Amino acid sequence: MYWKYCLRRIIYGLAIFILLIFIFSALFNTTMENTLRSQIEEEIRTETIKLDTRMTPEELTRYVAERRAFKQDLYHLGKPLWNRIVWRAINVLSLDFGKATIMRSSSGEADVWIIIAECIPRTVLLFTTAIFINIILGLWLGLKKAQRAGGLMDKTTSIGTMIVYGMPSWWLGMLVIMFFAYTIKIFPSGGLHSIPPSTGLAYYTDLLYHMTLPVLTLVFIGFWGSAFLIRNIVLSILQEDYIMAARTRGIPERKVLYGHAMRTAAPPIVTMALLSLLASVGGNIIFEGIFSWPGLGNLYWIAIEQNDIPVLMGNLFITTALYIGGLVILDLIYGFLDPRIKMGGKQQ
Amino acid sequence: MKWIDIKAGFWDFWNEFKRVRFGLFGLILLFIFIFVVLINSYIVPFPEASSRWRDITYWEDNPVSAPPVWVNWFSSTRRAPSLILREHTFLEEKMGKIKLTRAVFEYEYPYDLPPLDVIFHGYAKGSPVIMLSMERPDGQIVELVRRPISKSDGKTIRVSIAKDTRIESYHFGAKYEKPESNRIEREMVKPTSILFSEAKEGILIHPTPLKGSYKIIAEIILSSENDVVEDVYLSLSGSVSGWLGTDNSKRDIWSGMIAGVKWALLIGLLTAFTAVSIGVIYGVMSAYLGGWKDSLMQRIFELFISVPLLPVLIVMSAIFKPNIWIMILMMSCFFWVGPVKTVRSMGLQIKEETYIEAARAFGASSSRIIFKHIIPLLIPYSFASMALYVPSAIVYEASISLLGLGDSTIVTWGQILHDALTGGAVINGLWWWVIPPGLFIALMGMTFAFIGFAMDKILHPKLRTR
Amino acid sequence: MADTNNILKVEKLKINFLTRKGKVYAVDDISFSLKKGETIGLVGESGCGKTTTVLGLMKMVPTPGEIISGRILIDGKDIIPLSENEMREKVRWVKISMVFQGAMNCLTPVYTIGKQMMETIQEHKEMAYSQAKKKMINYLNLVGLPEDIIRRYPHELSGGMKQRVVIATALFLEPDMVICDEPTTALDVVVQAQIINLIKRLKKKLGLSVIFITHDLATEAEVADRLLVMYAGKLVEVGKNEQVYGKGGPIHPYTEKLLKATPRLHEKVEELSFIPGTPPDLVDPPSGCRFHPRCSEVMERCKKDEPPLIKVEPEHWIACWRSYHE
Repeated sequence: MYWKYCLRRIIYGLAIFILLIFIFSALFNTTMENTLRSQIEEEIRTETIKLDTRMTPEELTRYVAERRAFKQDLYHLGKPLWNRIVWRAINVLSLDFGKATIMRSSSGEADVWIIIAECIPRTVLLFTTAIFINIILGLWLGLKKAQRAGGLMDKTTSIGTMIVYGMPSWWLGMLVIMFFAYTIKIFPSGGLHSIPPSTGLAYYTDLLYHMTLPVLTLVFIGFWGSAFLIRNIVLSILQEDYIMAARTRGIPERKVLYGHAMRTAAPPIVTMALLSLLASVGGNIIFEGIFSWPGLGNLYWIAIEQNDIPVLMGNLFITTALYIGGLVILDLIYGFLDPRIKMGGKQQ
Repeated sequence: MKWIDIKAGFWDFWNEFKRVRFGLFGLILLFIFIFVVLINSYIVPFPEASSRWRDITYWEDNPVSAPPVWVNWFSSTRRAPSLILREHTFLEEKMGKIKLTRAVFEYEYPYDLPPLDVIFHGYAKGSPVIMLSMERPDGQIVELVRRPISKSDGKTIRVSIAKDTRIESYHFGAKYEKPESNRIEREMVKPTSILFSEAKEGILIHPTPLKGSYKIIAEIILSSENDVVEDVYLSLSGSVSGWLGTDNSKRDIWSGMIAGVKWALLIGLLTAFTAVSIGVIYGVMSAYLGGWKDSLMQRIFELFISVPLLPVLIVMSAIFKPNIWIMILMMSCFFWVGPVKTVRSMGLQIKEETYIEAARAFGASSSRIIFKHIIPLLIPYSFASMALYVPSAIVYEASISLLGLGDSTIVTWGQILHDALTGGAVINGLWWWVIPPGLFIALMGMTFAFIGFAMDKILHPKLRTR
Repeated sequence: MADTNNILKVEKLKINFLTRKGKVYAVDDISFSLKKGETIGLVGESGCGKTTTVLGLMKMVPTPGEIISGRILIDGKDIIPLSENEMREKVRWVKISMVFQGAMNCLTPVYTIGKQMMETIQEHKEMAYSQAKKKMINYLNLVGLPEDIIRRYPHELSGGMKQRVVIATALFLEPDMVICDEPTTALDVVVQAQIINLIKRLKKKLGLSVIFITHDLATEAEVADRLLVMYAGKLVEVGKNEQVYGKGGPIHPYTEKLLKATPRLHEKVEELSFIPGTPPDLVDPPSGCRFHPRCSEVMERCKKDEPPLIKVEPEHWIACWRSYHE
């Protein structure tokens, strides 16, 4: 039963992803093609410079035209519109994003996929760490709030939630950098690690050192919200009949709260945690930029500044893939945790 | 649902809402914001900030990257603030055909750091000649500049002491310095730091401020009948300026902030309203119509919800460079998915109510049932949703603007932050440029959060604890 | 002094709720007793205080409610001064257990039936896993459920099956008395009959003492020996079933109306009779007899003085001035 659910969900996610890729390919077709054309011209020009200069002007022109036709054919530029879109979409699905115009990876590669691929783990590292700490703090505070619902602590922390609700994480980041990195210089102002990077254990401590400010900022903005949501989830469960029934049966409060209540709260809480993580997949473009954290978000920023369309597009595709993938995983985990879905329907 | 029912509903809701203190607080803040938009022109020194944000002539007289005036309250060095002097004594002398007018401006200078510039403004017709000089508290009179105006039928004149009196100020100061120290480059001197300092040794290198009453004298020679100079005033470009200082393009940040309020409100409310309206109607329709229509609508919904919104918006803005209205449209096109799931489940519940069945038995059409019976029940939820979407919309627009992709014809807080970033505000510690825009965004977010959460609290009495 | 016959004696119990609108006198001065092996039926309209009373017996009154005064004697000992821990370890489920109404939602959805039942046993008795499991299966069979129910989750069971699980869970620690709070209300008629038959059988087999709450007099007549009628937080009639249901005997006007409101299958019914008005607001109850605004036989005295329970026959009390003879 669960496997059927899983399979269905995964296929579904794939279908949506493919559909979106086609839509994006169509939407951004013109721009991408313009870039392609200029890239082709660049390539031809480089080629002709390296050529033997014994050719006559007519031969040269013919050669250039030949090369151009060849390359345009290679990129399907002469074919009808739908053909181009489909061809590009298929390329994307096989992770061929073309070459970057200006940007290069840390190893000097121009292949867009390589540029993007090395950014993925950095983003994942930063945001997973932050969400993890966020959830733990949120659970601790949220449970406390639920147990003493309506009390002073509950009310004041709820106000805290509302105060940071509209606060952009990147703005707080700017302030934090201004204060902790420039005014009192105790933390680095950004980047993944110092230059030159240390080795061995020092590499990891250096990494942690650089991660501190961004993670702290993210946690500060985030944990109020998680605490509030967890408090609401737990509170609404605590008012359910089965909780009272368990207490009446003589189950000690500790087991009622951490067993019955929390286990029932697990699916929505996990959903909430994963959704926050997903929101960070693309939503923190500016945040990474402010901290010069070389992840996917920062890549967008640089690609925009340098007007490197292939990188921008590739990044968009990957972000969408990660996002949809995350949504699918979320549904799978939810289904696993909630026996109503895992086990299926009624038995007669 | 009759109008009376709706009114009664609102009244009940309002009574409940009144009880939630932070909700009221949010509402008060909202009214303050709206009020600010209405009295915009009266509370800022540069009322046309919004339309002339990128017009450098509008901001010409301001200092570059100056801190706010109230920094003076916290520091031991008092800096001269920006000021506009209009009052002057006016004397006219006639010598045959030539008229000599004299405008004397009095300036009190009790500060430690002088203004960065003193600029004379006027409106001239014909070809008058303007001579500026300064009478210092120590009695010395320094002749600053003699500017003939080219013939015209009428134009504005602007004489900047910082720009045009380097030579004169230098010579004035050099009188008090030993010949050896005259190695100071003439081009490096700041005229105002010489003119406003004590006339003694060291005036060119580390001057001591000369505090007291200064007179700035503008003598205008009108040699013919057609020569006229009117509307004269002095503007002093201070070391501190305005309620929130200036940015590196000399723009008064306070004016920019206030100009941004209306855009923030507009963007937020319009997006939230459009998106929630679409979402609620969509959700109810999906629930009510049921069957294959419901499934289809849910599939479409799932497609939209699989899109990582901000990256897509950013890429679209980068490539298509939309204006603010298109941006609002784009945001609404994605925000609408938010309420759908909840609204649909509420709709499914309401659908089962007997009065709906009764309405159907009476022959009411689907749209009538949806709009007259189901949707009014969802209005409180809609408002709570809308309130909670406003901050998101504002932050999204700010994010897009921050990357430089926003609509450059308007002033939004995000744009100001973009300028701050590219202008090196963070690195140079220009806190008055970095803090206010984000602070205002956070404040407005907080306002709507208070209102939205308060509404949410009323709608979920289950979570009541008393 | 141990009261050997009465396993439960409630004396002048008062339970109030403190709400924003004021104090709600939910249970106002209730006294009754339960003999060993006896079943008493507690009837009344929704909101009259039945559930609150029995929750009070287990000291599980939800906030903002609390027991104001009175005594609840179980086996001769007052349980009101007992601490939470003592209640949990010695009283709840050990001496007195409860079958909940609306078995819909009283089982935790994320735990299997087996886990929930096992948890209950192991909290109260030191028992080896296999022994506990045997006991569980024993009682499940007793209520007519197969052993593999243990591995199921609540949502996989039908309403009737869940109700049986709840009954089994209430019984397997062999408490002295069981409270059944409208166990059949949420079920369809066929299943209702099955459950009621089950309860009757178990009563006989295990010699249970039961407090059976219902708003349906027909059910009460089937299951119980004695009848307690509550109205607006007060006990208005106490008596044996035959005494109350038998035609011609003394009866409280409210009970009379309740009886009349239940249409008989055999009689011709011209008009369905009903009780006019609505149950009173317990924040500000009517003066004197709480039923007087809706009573068809109201007298002047009823509006001023609250009638106590007046003995009209042996073991039959009615709180009505009409039954008062100088």
